[in-house]
Order: sequence, then C-alpha cells, then structure tokens
Amino acid sequence: MNINATFFAELLAFCIFVFITYRYIWPSMENLLEDRRKEISDGLEAASQSQRKLEEANKESATILDGAKAEASSLINQANSRADQIVDEAKEQAVEEAKKIKLSAEADIEQSANKAKDSLRDEVAALVIAGAQKILDKEINAKANKDIIDSLIKKI
Amino acid sequence: MAKENAQNLIETSDYIGHHLVNLTFGWCEKTSTWGFANHQQELFKGLDSACKVSEMGFWSFHLDTIFMSIFLGAVVFGFFGLVNRAAKKGVPGKLQNFAEFVHEFIASAVNSGYHGTSKIVGPLAFASCLWIISWNLMDLLPVEMASFFGHFGGGFNYFKILPTADLNAPLALAIVVMILVTYYSVKTHGAGGFLKELFVVPLGPLEFISYVSKHVALALRLYGNLFAGEMIFILIAIMFGQFAMSFSQTLWFLPGLILNLSWALFHILIVALQAYIFMMLTIAYLNLASTKH
Repeated sequence: MNINATFFAELLAFCIFVFITYRYIWPSMENLLEDRRKEISDGLEAASQSQRKLEEANKESATILDGAKAEASSLINQANSRADQIVDEAKEQAVEEAKKIKLSAEADIEQSANKAKDSLRDEVAALVIAGAQKILDKEINAKANKDIIDSLIKKI
Repeated sequence: MAKENAQNLIETSDYIGHHLVNLTFGWCEKTSTWGFANHQQELFKGLDSACKVSEMGFWSFHLDTIFMSIFLGAVVFGFFGLVNRAAKKGVPGKLQNFAEFVHEFIASAVNSGYHGTSKIVGPLAFASCLWIISWNLMDLLPVEMASFFGHFGGGFNYFKILPTADLNAPLALAIVVMILVTYYSVKTHGAGGFLKELFVVPLGPLEFISYVSKHVALALRLYGNLFAGEMIFILIAIMFGQFAMSFSQTLWFLPGLILNLSWALFHILIVALQAYIFMMLTIAYLNLASTKH
C-alpha cells in the first residue's frame, strides 16, 4: 500500500465520470422514467374513465331497452283492443246486414205472395167466369154476372 | 528436503509479492528520468528506468490501476450512456430494462436517504456504486489470468487488474466525497458553524477526528475488504500451484478447487456489498452535511 500520484489520476477520472453521469446519464434516465410514469398513470386514468363510460352506456342501453319493451307491450295491447273492436264492429255490421237482408227477403216474399194472390185471384176469377159461363152459357149475361163474380173475387 | 522446502518458501513469497506489485511508471531519483520500474515490462525498452518500485517516490503512477479503472468506467458508463441514448418511452427492451432497474434501485436509495436539494448526490451515488462494482468484479477473474496475458501478450511482467486493491483508487473516491461533504456542510451551516461543529460542540476536537476518520474509513473499508479477498485468492492459487511443483502435492488440487469456488461465490456478495455500503455511506454523509440538525 503506497499512496502516490495515481491518486490524482483516479481523482480526476472519478470527477469526469461523475460529471458524465450528472450530465448525460442521470437526468435523461430520470426524465424517461418520469415520462413513463406519467404515461402509465394517464393510461390507467383513461382506462378507468372508459370503464365508467362503459358502465354509463350499459345503464343507458338498459333503460332504452326497458322503454322499448314497455312501448312494444303497450302497442301490442293497443293492437289487441283495436282488433277486438274491429271484430265487434264487424259482428254488428254483419248482424245489421243480416237483418236488412232478412227484411228485404221478407218484403220480396210478401210482394211475390201478393202477386201470386193477385194472379191466383185473377185466375180464379177467370175460372169462375169460365165455369159460370159454361154453366149459364145461354141465359146469363156475362156482363151482368161479372159484377157479382168480381165482388165474389174480392171476398176471396 | 529442507532445502527444497526453503526453495518452495522463497518461491511462494515471491509469488505473493509479485501479485501485490503494481505496474509503476514514475520519477526515478537516481537517474532523474521518468520511466517504468525496473524489469516490470519488456514492451517499451527505452522507458525502463534503473529504479525499483520501492525506490520511486510519490511521483509515480500505477498504470495498471489507472488503465483498468478508466477502461472499466468507459465500459460501464458507455453502456449506460448508449442505452439511455437509445432508450424509448414505450415498452423497454432488455438492456433498457436492466439500466432502468439499476437506476431505480440507486434512485430509491438516494430518495430515501438524502433529503437535501443537491442535484449531484444522485449522479455521485450512481457513478461511485457502479464504478466500484465494475472494479470489484475484476476480483472474480482468476488471479493468474492478468499476469498470464500481461506476460505473454503485452510484455508486462506486472499487471494488477483490481483497482480496488490499490489504495489510491478508493481513497480518491473517498476524498471526492469528503470535499463534497465539506462544501455542503459549509453551505448549510456557514463556515463558522461548520468549524464550531468540528472543534467545539459537543466533544471538542474529537469531532474533527471523527470527521477525518470516517472519510478515511470509507476508503479503507473498501480497500481492505477487496485487498483481503484478493489475498485469499492468491493463497488459494498457491494451493493449486503446489500440484504443479511436485507430484506428491497433487492432493492439494481438490481442496484448492473447492476453496476457490466457495470463496468466489462468497466474494460475489462482497463485490456488491462493498459497493452498496460505499454508496449508502456517501448518501448518508451528504445528507448529514446538507440538512440542519
């Protein structure tokens, strides 16, 4: 162990290396690590923020879905009641129509019955006249008897 | 037999001595010239001086310590500089991950131990810790390796690759710390307050002694640990060497192997621990110096 001028060389070398570290190595590494730390914390912050946003969006979509479901069920209800209504109306219309048809049919029947009666009456009258004419051919004046027969016909 | 043992002893002490001598370049009083210590190298013939290492005075340089420490510093700080330059803000690569891990480790030590405002403490802790670790790691290389390559490759007969085992290097670090501690003490307490703290309160001049000794101890602790570790590696290497010297000593090979392995494993702890202790004490001393108490 002998101290000599090597000491000064080592002293100088150490000072130079400390200076190099001070100037080029330490601060750049500090900055780098600081930047990375900031980036990571920003990233984590952004991640938690987007997580929150996702939750909000989930909630919103759930409410929208609920609303849509409610609307759909009310629409279905509405449609159902409307359909019932339509069916009822149709029924009523049908009943009315049936009544009308029945009435007109009855009127027709009555008309044709009347017609048939008239024509029958006429035929009967003609038959009676023909019969009476045959019976009373010579003696009875057709004209004078006709009044009697018409009155008879009217009674029928 | 006795003669052989004596021969072995001389060789052994030579071996140890050889491993404790630095490659020295210095001022030779005898010839008034600068040069390498006698017979230390064969590469620069003209630069060989007539002085031995012990004859050189203060003005000599341990070239191996200086070269190794600067080389290791260039590797370590070059690595961190390059990784930082190439660093990206996004997902880091493996090297960047490692650099960031080291930085965070030291930065957290600084942040928890130092409560002042100085911007130099972080870089100082970083530089001292990593530089010392890179030095200490050299202790894990086989002790013979440097001499082997030095001798056959570079023409140097003496070459110590462990800068920490040369007191000059740890002392330089400790003195830089001492200068900074003094500067921040004066800055915080004022020159008068600092002197008063050293010589008057609470135990008089004892405080001054503790002030000096704690900084010297900072260097000696590091130096002593690594020097002792190196010495044990040398002794274990001698154990190995026995087996080359005579066939009857072959039995030493196995215990030598086991010892070397276990000491190397244990030494990994010391390598990191001493660097860590140096860094933490540096931070603590600077914290004491720059906070009012």
